Amino acid sequence: MDFVANMVMGFGVALEPMNLVFCFIGVFIGTLIGVLPGIGPVGTMAILLPVTYGISPTTAIIMLSGIYYGAQYGGSTTSILVGIPGEAASVITTIDGYQMALQGRAGPALGIAAFGSFIAGTIGIIGLQLLAPPLVSVALRFGPPEYFSLMILGLVILTYLAQKSMAKALMMAGVGIFIGTIGLDTMTGTPRFTMGIPDLLDGVGIAPLAMGLFGISEILLNVEHKIKHEIVATELKHLLPSRKDWGESIGPILRSSLVGFFLGILPGGGAVLASFVTYGMEKRLSKTPEKFGKGAIAGVAAPESANNAAAQGAFIPLLTLGIPANVVMGMLLGALMIHNIIPGPMMINEHPGLFWGVIASMYVGNVMLLVLNLPLIGLWVKLLRVPYSILFPMILFICLLGGYVINNSVVDLYLMLFFGVAGYLMRKFDYEPAPLVLAYVLSTLLESALRQSLILSGGSMTIFVVRPISAGCLILALILLVSSILPRIRDRRRMLVEQAEETT
Amino acid sequence: MNADRWSSLFWFALGAAGIYASARLGVGNVGEPGSGFMPLTACAFVCVMALVVFLQSFGGGGRRLSALWRGVYWRRALGVGLLTLAYVLALESLGFFVTGFLLLVATMKGLEGLSWRKTLTISIVTLIVSYVVFKVMLKSTLPAGMLGF
Repeated sequence: MDFVANMVMGFGVALEPMNLVFCFIGVFIGTLIGVLPGIGPVGTMAILLPVTYGISPTTAIIMLSGIYYGAQYGGSTTSILVGIPGEAASVITTIDGYQMALQGRAGPALGIAAFGSFIAGTIGIIGLQLLAPPLVSVALRFGPPEYFSLMILGLVILTYLAQKSMAKALMMAGVGIFIGTIGLDTMTGTPRFTMGIPDLLDGVGIAPLAMGLFGISEILLNVEHKIKHEIVATELKHLLPSRKDWGESIGPILRSSLVGFFLGILPGGGAVLASFVTYGMEKRLSKTPEKFGKGAIAGVAAPESANNAAAQGAFIPLLTLGIPANVVMGMLLGALMIHNIIPGPMMINEHPGLFWGVIASMYVGNVMLLVLNLPLIGLWVKLLRVPYSILFPMILFICLLGGYVINNSVVDLYLMLFFGVAGYLMRKFDYEPAPLVLAYVLSTLLESALRQSLILSGGSMTIFVVRPISAGCLILALILLVSSILPRIRDRRRMLVEQAEETT
Repeated sequence: MNADRWSSLFWFALGAAGIYASARLGVGNVGEPGSGFMPLTACAFVCVMALVVFLQSFGGGGRRLSALWRGVYWRRALGVGLLTLAYVLALESLGFFVTGFLLLVATMKGLEGLSWRKTLTISIVTLIVSYVVFKVMLKSTLPAGMLGF
């Protein structure tokens, strides 16, 4: 009964005109940036963070969430028609999607991607609303040591899944924690590493950091290349998959939705991992695995369903524990904290309108996305033809403007430019910015959990290993770290990365 | 020169500087960690990982430093970086409209060689839309500059 009442309340919030408008803006922008290679959901969310200052936190999270799951939808269009993934979670879709387009079956590929995303998104939302409340009661039993160990596990998983070197990813996590400590020490009030700059007393803002590392650096890297898209000229009228297509896809859609959802919950996991795992899973389960890579519709349905379900699953650790599962959720955490809302087990009781409103908005957003991605597919194809020489100056300008209006401070712009150049160099040298940003977002929570734990235990580190949940997380993190060193597993991991690189 | 070897040395130096600065803040002890405890731990971790990357760089197969900028239009990236810096330097004195217009024109016409018609149309539309969104809808404060707009 409570569940029904909560959902009624959620829909009441989601269907408010203002929230509907921002939900539409979110999914529209999400689809847009999913379609356009060169800017991902993290960069976009960073650019739009300043916009959220002027609206209510519920409306802000509805919009930012829409960008995230909207990008999963939009990413498939570019993967299928251009053979270049619009964003990371659509990398694997490129293999069979582009082959289908070359064979003149772009319509069914786009259609099954949209329908699969819709079904998976809906399954993900149902899972989210069913699993989140019971998890909240478990989360209430978490103390500082459990939080600390869970955050360490999340960071280790994220670095384990790093595209390049794990040592470099771990190093970036360390740098992120260090950057997070800049500013006033919240426990003692001591200024740390502010170099006498008053603007740094509040710390380095998430907006200049993320906009620099993901927005500006992306532009600097992209302008080094002449980006030219060869769009497959194909018949786009027959978007509805045939009965045979459905027969081959429905199993992969349902299985990948479930697997994707649970992989999304995993700290450090998310849509990218889900799409890769389910593609491999479906290939193994298929009666005709030889068709994979040559235009199998299941090879489009599985990863597209999985990445959408994972996008919903990733909300669970954030909304129940207050811990972002990936860097996109880190951005959402940042947006909530801007509005003085601390996500975690208490949020569901303290801000029920926000919690259930955001969940209900996902149903609404999913329907909007289906409408946006099927009848409007022609519009997205046209957008793909807009040259990057027109797009990047506008993105750059919006980045700079957005960076300024947060605090009306030029210091933020200098920081953004600094992190932009740093991010450019980091990527040149194969250092990924995602672990840095996630560690930065977690650093305040991590530090206070560590210090509280040590004070509680009177300085004994054993507090992290005598409590079962904490010990479990640390053991798992240790297993991952050790396994990454073992040659057999390391080679397999490298093979996966190389496969992904070949695809892109 | 191996790119990983150089970059790891850079991170090691940065980590070492961080350890020094953290130690000056006061590390405290395990029972009562001080302000420098967490940053010092993080920087020590950075140093250890930098050493790992440094040692791995002797394993062969790494890219050379010069290869990172070979075959790309790095001057365009440099141009965008410098234009951005100029924008930041001039923003508060020249104001939102003038600096925004100059940045858009300089990138689209100067760097990318678009036609004047396209450059001016896109620049003006972008400025008007961003003004409406940030100033009118979101009530943000945009720098007017010495010209007053």
